[in-house]
Amino acid sequence: MDELEQLVVQAEREAAEASSVSEVATIEARYLGGKGSLQAQLRLIGSLLRENRPTFGARVNAARDRLAAALAERRQALAAAEAARRLERERIDVTLPGHPFPAGGEHPLSQTEARIKAALVGLGFEFAEGVELEDYAHNFAALNYPPEHPAFDEQMTFYVDDTRLLRTQTTAIQGRLMPRRPPPFRYAVVGRCFRYEAVDATHHHTFHQVDAFMVDRGIGMADLKGVLRQFASTMFGGDVMVRFRPDFFPFVEPGVDYSILWQGRWLELGGAGLVHPNILEAHDIDSETYSGFAFGLGVERIHMIQNGVADLRLYLDNDFRFLSQF
Amino acid sequence: MRLPVEWIVEMAPTGDTADELARRLTMAGLEVEETAESNIGPVLSIKVTPNRGDCLSVVGVARDLGALTGVSLRLPSFARSAGPGEMEDWSGVTIEDPDLCPRYAARLVRDIRPGESPRWMQDRLLAAGMRPVSNVVDVTNYVMIETGQPLHAFDYERLAEGRIVVRRARPGESIVSLDGVQRELSPEMLLICDAKKPIAIAGVMGGTDAEMRSSTTVMLLESAHFLWTSIRRTARALGMTTEASYRFERIVDPAGVVAAADRACALIEELGFGKPVEGVLDEYPGAAPRRRLSVRPARCSAMLGFPVTESDVRTALARLGFDETESGVSIEFAVPSFRPDVVREIDLVEEVGRVLGYDRIPERLPEGATTQGRDTDLSTRMGCARRLLVGCGLQEVVGHSLLASNELDRPIAAGDRVAIRSALSADLAGLRASLLPGLVDVLDRNARRGHGRLAAFEIGRVFRRTEAGYDESVNVAGAIAGPMVGSGWARDTRWRSTDFHTAAGVVERLVRGLGAPSPSLAPGDDPRLHPGRQAWITVAGSRVGLLGELHPQRAADLHIRSRVLVFELALEALPDAQPPAALTPLSPYPPVVRDLAPRIALTVPYESVRRAVEDARPDTLESFELTDVFDGAPLPEGVRSLTLSFTFRAPDRTLADAEVADALAALRAALAERCGATFAV
Repeated sequence: MDELEQLVVQAEREAAEASSVSEVATIEARYLGGKGSLQAQLRLIGSLLRENRPTFGARVNAARDRLAAALAERRQALAAAEAARRLERERIDVTLPGHPFPAGGEHPLSQTEARIKAALVGLGFEFAEGVELEDYAHNFAALNYPPEHPAFDEQMTFYVDDTRLLRTQTTAIQGRLMPRRPPPFRYAVVGRCFRYEAVDATHHHTFHQVDAFMVDRGIGMADLKGVLRQFASTMFGGDVMVRFRPDFFPFVEPGVDYSILWQGRWLELGGAGLVHPNILEAHDIDSETYSGFAFGLGVERIHMIQNGVADLRLYLDNDFRFLSQF
Repeated sequence: MRLPVEWIVEMAPTGDTADELARRLTMAGLEVEETAESNIGPVLSIKVTPNRGDCLSVVGVARDLGALTGVSLRLPSFARSAGPGEMEDWSGVTIEDPDLCPRYAARLVRDIRPGESPRWMQDRLLAAGMRPVSNVVDVTNYVMIETGQPLHAFDYERLAEGRIVVRRARPGESIVSLDGVQRELSPEMLLICDAKKPIAIAGVMGGTDAEMRSSTTVMLLESAHFLWTSIRRTARALGMTTEASYRFERIVDPAGVVAAADRACALIEELGFGKPVEGVLDEYPGAAPRRRLSVRPARCSAMLGFPVTESDVRTALARLGFDETESGVSIEFAVPSFRPDVVREIDLVEEVGRVLGYDRIPERLPEGATTQGRDTDLSTRMGCARRLLVGCGLQEVVGHSLLASNELDRPIAAGDRVAIRSALSADLAGLRASLLPGLVDVLDRNARRGHGRLAAFEIGRVFRRTEAGYDESVNVAGAIAGPMVGSGWARDTRWRSTDFHTAAGVVERLVRGLGAPSPSLAPGDDPRLHPGRQAWITVAGSRVGLLGELHPQRAADLHIRSRVLVFELALEALPDAQPPAALTPLSPYPPVVRDLAPRIALTVPYESVRRAVEDARPDTLESFELTDVFDGAPLPEGVRSLTLSFTFRAPDRTLADAEVADALAALRAALAERCGATFAV
């Protein structure tokens, strides 16, 4: 083994023993650098016989390549090991709870109103905004309530003066919408209503209602039943059945209350009926040619049914433990 | 109204059990709310709608049952009086105000022997919810429940001249009613009088002056028809509702007046505690022919949605007591006197449908022109605000419109609180002018319940009274106290402490998210808020709301330990979202970011600094941001350092260092001139 051979073996051993990338760099400089051992060997070439020079040069080059490859391999291995160690050092407890972001939420009544709106808009109803501080004329007179009628007993409310009151029903908007344009039309409104009632689990002086009505040629009770079924199916999911029971509201005739069969139970949802011809005629709509229906229901009631809420008071109480469940 | 099943089926022998009866009545519009037990069997609680006064009796309910089932009724039979007979020797009836009293009938019973009514009658009265009093009173009540006609018994011997005069009260007149209360009367109230004095408030309650006593031997029995609106007004004005007034308000059959009196006399005779005098005094100035109405079977079919034949119409209406008077394309009927609610063809359509059954109505979707369904613009904006605030981590709440007087309740714009007239409860005394009282209350109550994360908003209507009238508009408001998130274990405390500027960030997000220009803030002077930590919010030149820390004095009584930050904006006062301007081309050239750290007196608000930059804005300035605020040593007292980070970029070239330097110099100059800024370097 000549000196060149010994040099390579020595360098390879050192490379194999190197424990860090920087050590590999030191070894590389020592053997392959400009002042390195192999470079020194190459300088010996001048002292050789002319015919031996190519062979020796080739041997030095081969030795340099071999050493460079060995060093590169070692460097790579060490770098990989170091990277692996570094990643290992960075290991964290992935089971720690995530940093919380502030969580907001919509009130269940808003969520329910949005669903009601989507269902009715899909059925061609155009929503309108009513006022909570309504006048007597719209809340009662325009809805065919005769003066002094006992029907008022169910509609006791809060007055701010002789003519202004807190609306008892979102139906109060009918008189504002009927004159807007000639039939056919389909309108709906959702909002807050008030009645002078003692507050308990199923009664509140403040509650929310949705009211929808349409007027067109040839509208009858069958259209009402069909639209209610479609609406209830969208709201409650699955197939529902609608049942009518005679009831009385001055602004509809015939008047009914309607129930739906949902999950094996009949649930009373609200009142409905055909728009009273007196109301159509009050707006110069020919009640022979045109007829219409109207229906209403409680927003709370829908949410209560769907979520098994038994106490109406929870909605305005705003306990975050309640609200955050929806 | 409570009626024992035993009594109903005695007249309408349908063969139904109590449950079947309850279901049948409910499905026909006489809702049975409850079935209770009594010692004479089940008792139905029936909710009679206000249009069906005719059903406030056993006979009325039986009549509807007969119509629904086709069962013939077994009504009580008794001797009917005809003509005044001997009555003219005893008494007289004068109706001075026939507009309020269309009919008044009187009968006499002599040889009254006061005592108790028989057990079976007491049982029925008790089951119907009435207390047995004496044989005479019990009979009048029994007949009222049976027929719906209220009766009143007077002590004949105490009637001046033995006569009845029906007239309006005179100014200043008063009466002591049977409940012992002195009632001041007004001239729109109808009275029953004798020749001299009032003896009863017509249709509402008797008076003590001619009250039946244990010594009474001759009774005058009143059976009358009063104008329902008059009875209702009187009862309400006097604050009393009686079994009689409740029925009169719902219109009692004028045709049944004499029969009810006869039935009572027959019962008294049968039970052996008095001898009816033959004849009846029947004044009937308001007699009117029965209303006639036509109904088209085709219209019934169209409205009900299923085929209705002529014979369906005839059968249904005949069973309900309507008499056919003419037939053709439409069939004309005489409406029975006990159905004043039936006034138009559509009412007959309903009756036909009710008897045939609403279960026959099919389902159909309207076939007419398609209409465009849509939500309102206001509601769309409310929904947008809702999503933005939820995105900021606030929980939506829905509060009360009715509110006790509260020092936090102030409108954003000028105006007074809207008060509820004669409010019975302080909690319901007025309408909210601001959402803040409710929100602070919600936060406080949740804090009391141990909830740590207190961040809520409400979007709702507020009210105020202005010179122009009442104003109702939609506000959006929020309240935040303490951390926006649970404690967590992170060292980054971004969400764990909130201050004025957190709330300002929420407001900025809200306003910008609604498509309005950035809000600007200026120190405010609202007494509800901390004097040094509050701002008016101005958008596009108009004041739209306010923002600040709740005044420590207002927060002192709360259970909230942290400072409470609130904001409130008039949602409708914000300008409409602007359609997006033409797209700004995306520059392919790199940005240059440079900071300036002007030192500015504490008395100069940041808003002035921002405006100075905006006004001096070089073309190449793409955006700028405040990245640090510092005061204290080593800065001199009264001075703070603001670090502003400017991003420069040109659409068409890479900026040269000199260009950026020039732009920065211009900004420095503007800050120095406008804000008195100095620069350390």
